[in-house]
Amino acid sequence: MNSYNIILSGVGGQGLILTTKIICVAAMKKGYDVKSNDVVGLAQRGGKVWGSVKIGEKIHSPNISHGEGDILVGMEVVEALRWRGSLKEDGIVIINDYRIPPVPVITEKEEYPEDIEGLFGDGRTMISIDAVEKSRDIGSVKVANILLIGILASKTDIDKEFWLKAIEENVPDKFKSENIRAFEYGYGIE
Amino acid sequence: MKEKNVLSGNAAIARGFYEGGGTVASSFPGSPTVEIMHELNTKYRDIYSEFSVNEKVALEVGIGASFAGARTLVSMKHVGMNICADPLMTFTQTRINGGFVLVSGDDPGMLSSQNEQDNRIFGKFAHMPILDPSDSQEAKDFVKYGLEMSEKFNAPFMLRITSRLCHSRSIVTLDERQEKELTGFSSKLEDYGMIPPNTFQKQYDMKERLEKLSDYAENWRINFLDKKTGSGVLLIASGIIYENLKELDLDLDIFKLGMIYPLPVSKLKELSNKYEQIIVIEEMMPFIEDELKINGIDCKGKEYFSFTGELNTEDIEKGLYEAGIIKDMENEEVADEVTVARIPMFCAGCPHRPVFDILKKAKASVIGDIGCYSMAVLPPLSILNSIISMGASIGIMKGMSKAYIAAGKNEPLVAVIGDGTFYHSGMPPMLNLLQNLDPDYNMTLLVLDNGITAMTGGQDNAGTARFGRALDMNVSIESIIRTMGFDRIRVVDQFKYKEASETIKEELKHEGLSIVITTRPCALNFKIKETPFQVDPDICIGCRSCVRTNCPPIAMRKYDGIEKLKSSIDSDLCVGCSICAQVCPVNAIKQMEDGDE
Repeated sequence: MNSYNIILSGVGGQGLILTTKIICVAAMKKGYDVKSNDVVGLAQRGGKVWGSVKIGEKIHSPNISHGEGDILVGMEVVEALRWRGSLKEDGIVIINDYRIPPVPVITEKEEYPEDIEGLFGDGRTMISIDAVEKSRDIGSVKVANILLIGILASKTDIDKEFWLKAIEENVPDKFKSENIRAFEYGYGIE
Repeated sequence: MKEKNVLSGNAAIARGFYEGGGTVASSFPGSPTVEIMHELNTKYRDIYSEFSVNEKVALEVGIGASFAGARTLVSMKHVGMNICADPLMTFTQTRINGGFVLVSGDDPGMLSSQNEQDNRIFGKFAHMPILDPSDSQEAKDFVKYGLEMSEKFNAPFMLRITSRLCHSRSIVTLDERQEKELTGFSSKLEDYGMIPPNTFQKQYDMKERLEKLSDYAENWRINFLDKKTGSGVLLIASGIIYENLKELDLDLDIFKLGMIYPLPVSKLKELSNKYEQIIVIEEMMPFIEDELKINGIDCKGKEYFSFTGELNTEDIEKGLYEAGIIKDMENEEVADEVTVARIPMFCAGCPHRPVFDILKKAKASVIGDIGCYSMAVLPPLSILNSIISMGASIGIMKGMSKAYIAAGKNEPLVAVIGDGTFYHSGMPPMLNLLQNLDPDYNMTLLVLDNGITAMTGGQDNAGTARFGRALDMNVSIESIIRTMGFDRIRVVDQFKYKEASETIKEELKHEGLSIVITTRPCALNFKIKETPFQVDPDICIGCRSCVRTNCPPIAMRKYDGIEKLKSSIDSDLCVGCSICAQVCPVNAIKQMEDGDE
């Protein structure tokens, strides 16, 4: 059995809790042990949100120690950057090229960071995509998180059918087809 | 094979209550436990569940159900225990009829709370046995044990959980529901009429039940020795700390406690003779450590582990290293990543935004209360001068006025309170304002009525009916206040910015008490979505009036061919509330039309 330490981060309202849940369910269907953490706190009101999913034969703590992450899914650029230290030196970064300015940027006290790739370092693989624009083409900006799950899924040994089932069980029926299309798009990215 | 699912700690507790034959559940919303009652409300419709008006009422509803023989669960965040402490401390003396579990959601590290109180102390204070689960499977199982054992040992059980457990998911095996027959109320006065002399015997009963439980705990399988080959040191842990400790994969024995009060004292005494050293690992106060010491078991703990915040695997490793138990540290100590901070802010379309913009412009210093509007204490607003507890703003305003009067001053005072908080515990201090009210003292109370208990995710409350939901309670705060005897009450629609601003400013100047009720509903819960607005950079003068309202989609940006920074609105995030357009002095912000990009 493999093991995957997955870190997710974003801004309140981007659907992060649903995203961690879908990953957990897919891993369980494959027969893995799995534990996750969701954002806790005031974060839902435009604050930072984060989660972690640990997948393997036997999982104890849901927390991922510093530098132990295999894959980081950043749903917003600064929020991806915030968690870069959690990632292994050769970890994978899946980043939504989407910027929501935080308060210090809005109030012009600080600049929004540039040169993101440089900040992540050489050893790490970075997959950057404007998932919001892509999902707008697919049918709804709300499925951007599922598109990112598609990319993540393609980096694991969890079978596609388990991912699709996990999505179908956890998204509202009326949005099912957009969600599946978004997943397929992400899954197909080389 | 039994069905499995991945459940959060909260969802597992709801499931445990269902499987354990639960009949009545009540709560007041508060992070980290909100999801328990939400799950019961939405997924287990056969169980009666409610978000009561406050925690005291929730507990009293639970007490009634248990008296009548129903298996009962009452859940709340840790500070909720303060609200219900009065009925709790007396209820705990009575004879338990229907199994009773009180869930306390503690918050080490204060991820979403105003303090870090350790409610294990409350459990002991109330002579309640305390269960402390480590993962979702245990959370589910422990609810069932609690229901069963509270009937067997005649003791209400506390299920003490932490934010981390509530919001972490793990795999749970699902079981069938076991139906529990409703026994009815026995109505023995000596068991339920809690005045002396009936209460005299109860002190002995409570002592005795804990002694019996301590004996039972010796062989209860939820307390166990996790045996390794290493010798000399015994580690003691419970809750999610046990899992964080297991992550280190040490060759040391761990005594894992499922019930942390009362402890299996004889067993631990016997065990302690086999080890040179005992180390207790626990978050917040040295509760288990103190219990061991009281019982004559030598141990160490808090000298190596922080008294505040969470204990993650790295913290445990560091403590054990300092204790000399382990020789190497795998996890290096690292500084937090430095990047731009992201503090919470009011949602796009939030009805609090114009109110605080108006108050900020009026240079008011505002006594705060608990709710989404507590965030007005954060920059860039930084307008609240205090936040204490649910409903406290009104009493604090009165006390300040009396102090200033004594000093011969008439310092204008402003307080805010939300609708959920008003119903929860704002009505008694409101009544109390009438007593010795100084007619000339300048006090302004703003009731921010957004129609829902918003901060905790949007639970219907007594005033939600005016938006067509929860029609069984249709309460008007204006009518309540008027009936109490207040007459200077202004009701404003704060999305009519100019009118609202004039009204609020008038009332801020009024020499006497005035009450302003704002009526716009929560944007998040009532899904306000109008056509987005956009900035015309050629008209915008870059004054930042709109930016200062601190709205997620609004920021200054560089436009091609324009040297100065001009305002901009992210149309994906804008919900079209129009406040920015109303504060713009040059009319540069307009609603988008078909074809606009």
